[in-house]
This record gives sequence, structure tokens and C-alpha cells, in this order.
Amino acid sequence: MVAFEADYFRALETPRMAVLSPNLFAAAFPLMKLMPARHILDRAAADGALQTGMRIVETTSGTFGMALALLAAARGYRLTLITASSLIDAKYRARLEGIGATIIITEDPDGNGDQLRRLQRLEDIRQKEMDCFWPQQYDNPGNALAYARLAELLVRRIGKIDCLVGCVGSGGSLCGTGAFLRAVFPHLVIIAVDTHRSVLFGQPAGKRMLRGLGNSLIPGNLRHDLVDEIHWVGAYPAFGEARRLLREHGIFQGPTSGAAALVAKWAARSRPGARVAVIMADEGHRYAETVFDDAWLASLPGWPGTPPSEPILLTAIEPASEADWTRFPWARRGLGQVLHARFRDEGFSR
Amino acid sequence: MPESDDGGLAFATPFFTPDADRWDWIVAGDGKSVRDDGPSFRRGFGTAIGHHGELLQGVFEDETGRLHRGLVTLPLARLTSRATFKLTGALALTAFPESKTKAGLAARLTLDHLDIADGGTLCIESDIPVGHGYGSSTADVVASIRAVAAAHNAQLQPSRIGQLAVAAERASDAIAFDGHAVLFAQREGIVLEDFGGTLPPLLLVGFKPDGVQPIDTLQLAPARYDRLEIQQFRVLRALIARAVRYQDPDCLGLAATASARISQRHLPKQHFERVLEIAEEAGACGVQVAHSGSLLGILFDRTGRDLRHRAGRVAASAERSGFRDVEIHQINDDGAKW
Repeated sequence: MVAFEADYFRALETPRMAVLSPNLFAAAFPLMKLMPARHILDRAAADGALQTGMRIVETTSGTFGMALALLAAARGYRLTLITASSLIDAKYRARLEGIGATIIITEDPDGNGDQLRRLQRLEDIRQKEMDCFWPQQYDNPGNALAYARLAELLVRRIGKIDCLVGCVGSGGSLCGTGAFLRAVFPHLVIIAVDTHRSVLFGQPAGKRMLRGLGNSLIPGNLRHDLVDEIHWVGAYPAFGEARRLLREHGIFQGPTSGAAALVAKWAARSRPGARVAVIMADEGHRYAETVFDDAWLASLPGWPGTPPSEPILLTAIEPASEADWTRFPWARRGLGQVLHARFRDEGFSR
Repeated sequence: MPESDDGGLAFATPFFTPDADRWDWIVAGDGKSVRDDGPSFRRGFGTAIGHHGELLQGVFEDETGRLHRGLVTLPLARLTSRATFKLTGALALTAFPESKTKAGLAARLTLDHLDIADGGTLCIESDIPVGHGYGSSTADVVASIRAVAAAHNAQLQPSRIGQLAVAAERASDAIAFDGHAVLFAQREGIVLEDFGGTLPPLLLVGFKPDGVQPIDTLQLAPARYDRLEIQQFRVLRALIARAVRYQDPDCLGLAATASARISQRHLPKQHFERVLEIAEEAGACGVQVAHSGSLLGILFDRTGRDLRHRAGRVAASAERSGFRDVEIHQINDDGAKW
């Protein structure tokens, strides 16, 4: 008997588990976004919302699009991806187009990902082509639900987990994995990793150098009330840590994984008795000519500067430079609660 | 067959076990055959143990992504059902007591599986209470299958016994596997995951609410789980795998407690929150329930300190909170005294 799965990407959405220090365990994915993409498409196919030959349309800057492209190719869907000029390079675009995806690129004059204009384009397509499926990775609860598989893998390999560290873009991976783990480990500390000038945890939107995490709008899958602590990591420390992961551990992951590893190492150092798990979402190939290229790094203004060895503790949420790493005790509050407290404090101090 | 010196008894090997290291003489369940007056009047004996409900019950994926209802049983070796099957040379199959119709059906299905037309007489003696989630029905069924097989010198694998049990009673516990921990699809008779060993040693303080009526399992509508619950079951399954592999009672307790909480939405137990409090106060590993019965249990690490005192306190608290039939069970005690 031949027992193959319906598609053959399972290995790409299965992390390699690495021990980075005695109490720090990393789940390093080749392509983590396959997990939510597969789950969302499976559910849609089961519910009849998605049928072979139909078009899938999504706004994505990267790996979720890659995951959709692979699945679309294997399962016979058409795919249109909407991205912004600041988010995609020619090679990645060519790879996606090679898998059969149609790519639409918006101008993004402000360099913040242009999410609103991208959504407008998506709406236009859906108006014209009624019979298409929009996975909605930012708001589809299936995104977060898919990460029960990661929670399962972590428990099988690590057992009891005291602290979970991961980046936030859509909120799916950290909040999904975190919610499933906290249901059995109520004391689990969840540390979110974002970058300066992302609006996710109350900073004003602005130009961001580190791609693949952060957002210019608040996705429905982000559950602020799960988060104990938020870190904002600038591009430089993230790049530096991605290089260190490769040099010291032979782990070739992208810069968002670097940001997560930086925070997780600090968390493991400052909680020696706790078992810390960190989610590292994708591989470094896409950054071979940037983050992993010494000449490119040397061309960055102020690179490398003095890499921070620990985060600056903020008392008020505010953006910092790309060389900075800051943190803020979020304390499982809602976004409104935190912002309200901030305004109240500011009013008081004035 | 070897003959022993006490009246010509001959023992069949316990049922065939593919991996002798692990499966050899599985805890309580075995079958043996006895020759009376020649081959046509052979008798076979079979036993099976009861349980204290489930550690985990829910819906689980197989390797192809298909979902199955499944459970992990908490076996109680102290409670047993004992079946004797006597060949009569007649086609008729008679079961005693007459109320044991599912056991009788299981015996018939076993004979069919062995391709034997002759019937016999099946007698069942059980000390497992009926209708509270102790698995009395499955134990009768499994003991009967083992007795019939033994009478015919057949060696059935646990997986076969599990399938026959499901065929006889529609939904069956994992008791065919005795102390070996498996995730068992109770309506299909298949193993979704073999956890590769026994549960860690535990101490269980079990009880039931006052004034509950026995439940007929088959009259219960199957629980309908939502997507969040179905995904959460993945993590609970992982905790059980971890608990068996590393003999970790804490992981087991966490899984059982979470499964019990989910079960509250489907077959709620009165004063469940109070039971959680009692367990927490005593530093227990967790709380466990019969997902289609009335039993509740508080699980302790068998190697924990001051166990006698803590378990005693839990038993007293349970009684004060209005629970009855408070009992202390050792599970996989591995010969340890307490």
C-alpha cells in the first residue's frame, strides 16, 4: 500500500528542533506559513468554499504567498498575490511567478508596506471575479488554529514549556501556538517580538527596515491579551543575530528568526530555571545577497555600531532607531487598555 | 501441550505478542484453556480489567489527516471480569447471566472470526460496577473474546480483540490492550497511536457524585467538538505521548485535566470546579473524568512525597464536598507498597 499525503510539503512545515542553550529550544522552520496556508485551504475545500480551478487571492509580502503558491500548484488552483514594491525583490517575484502565481505590486511611497492600498486592489479583484477565495491570513481564525500542530510538536519534543518567544506579523503563529500551550501550561510566559514603527503594539506607523514581522494595521489574529511582554527589535540587531545563528549554530534562518532568537536568548538567560521555546519562521536563502552579504551590510549607515546585549526597558511605548532593541511589560492587556493607560499617565505627568 | 500435575490442566500461552519485550504477559488480561474430558469439552478462561474512565477523549487525526473519535483509557487492574467458555458440541451459544448479551455477541463474533460453527456456554463473573464509567461492558466483552479464543487454542492479537469488541458493542474502550497505552478509536476498533509503553505509576483518588444514576453509554449522543477543541486535542495527545515516553505523571495530569474541562461542555459533572480546587490544594498532577460516565478522579505522582497524607486529605475533602464511593487506587504501582 502506498500511503502518501494529498500534497508533499509536510517536511517544509515541520521545524528542525535545535537546543541553543541548556534551557532554550528553537523550532526552525523551512517555511512555517505552509502550516496556516494548508489549514485554511483544507478547511475551505472541506466547506466547499474552494474548488479545484478556482482563484485564490491574497495580499502578502512573502512567505505566506510562497506557501499558497506551492499548494496552488500541487492542488490545481490559480493564484494572485498583491504585494508592495518595498516588500518584494525581483528574484522572489520570479520564483513566485515560476510557480504560476500572478503578482500585483503597489507603489508604497511611504515604505510601510502599503497595506491599505493592497487591500483595495484585492477588493477590486474580488468584485470583478466573484468566484475567488481570499484566505485572509490576518483575520482568518484558521491561521491561529493551524498552529496547534506546532504546539503539539513542541510538547512532544520539549514537554513542559514555561516561556514562548516569537515574532508577530499576522499574530497567527505566536497567538495560536501560545493559546494552545497556555491551555495546558497556564503559567506560560508569552513574549512577542515586533519591530520599531509597527503599529501592532501601539507604536505609530512608519518606515520599517526589517521585513517579515510587524504590520501597519492590526490583524484580527493578534490577541494582545495573551502577551506578557513585547520587544521591539531593530533591523541591525536582527541582522547581526541571524548571522550569529549561522556562525555559532549552523542555523540558516532569515532576519526575523534572528530577532526572535535574540529575544529568546535573553529570555533564557534571565530565566535560568525556565524552559524557553522560540519560533523561527523561515530560512535565510531570500537574504543571501543582503543580510548574509558582508558588503551589503557594510553599506548600511552606521553598521554595525555597538550591538545591544540587552533590551532597553521602556516606560512609555515609543519608536527607536534600527540599531535599538527595546521592551515593555505588556502584562496580558488589550491594546486599548495599554493605550488608555498611556494617555492617562501622560495627562497626569503634564 | 504441557500437562501440569494438578488435574490435567493445560495452559495456553497468553495471546500472541509481536514484541515480546513489551507485550509479554500483558498486565492482567490473559486467556487459558483447560481440557476436561477430551477436546470437544474444552473450556477456555479469559479475564479483562476495568478502568476509571478516560485520561483523554476527543477527536484525532490519523496520518492522512482524517479525523477519528479516540480515547486513552485509565486502566484499573483491581477490577476484573472473568469469563469461562465451555464447548458443548452443540451449535447453540448460551450466555450467563442472560443480561450479558453484548458478551454473548462478542463470543459469537469471535467464533465467526475463527471460522467455528459450534457454540458453547459462556459464563461471566464480574466485580466491575455497571454504568458509572468503569468499563464493565467492554471488560465482559474482552474477557469473553479471550475465553472463546482460549477454548479453541487461538491466539488473538490485542488489535484483533479490540476490533471484535467494537463489532460487538459499537463503542469500546481500549481494555483489549490492558496496561499498554494506546490512542484507540472506540467506534472503529483501530489504534490511532501506540504510545509505546505503560502509563507512569500513579495514585488515583476516585469518587462519584452523590445520587447519580447509572449511564447507558450507548444512549449518549457522541460529543460534537468545535474546531478549537479538535485542535487542542493535538496538544493533549502530545502530552500523553510525552507522559508515557518519559514516565512523566505531570504531563499526564495536565492532559487529563484539559480533557476533563472539555468534557464539561458535553457531559458536565457537578462540582467539577470544586474538584479542581481540591486537586490544586493537594498538589496533585491533575483531574480525570469518565467522559461517558459519572466518575471523577484526582491523579497523584506515585513517587510523590507525603503521598499517603495528601491522598487522605483529598479523599476527606471529596467526601466533605458531597462525593461518595471515595476510593484510592494504585495504577502501575510496579510492586511498590504504600
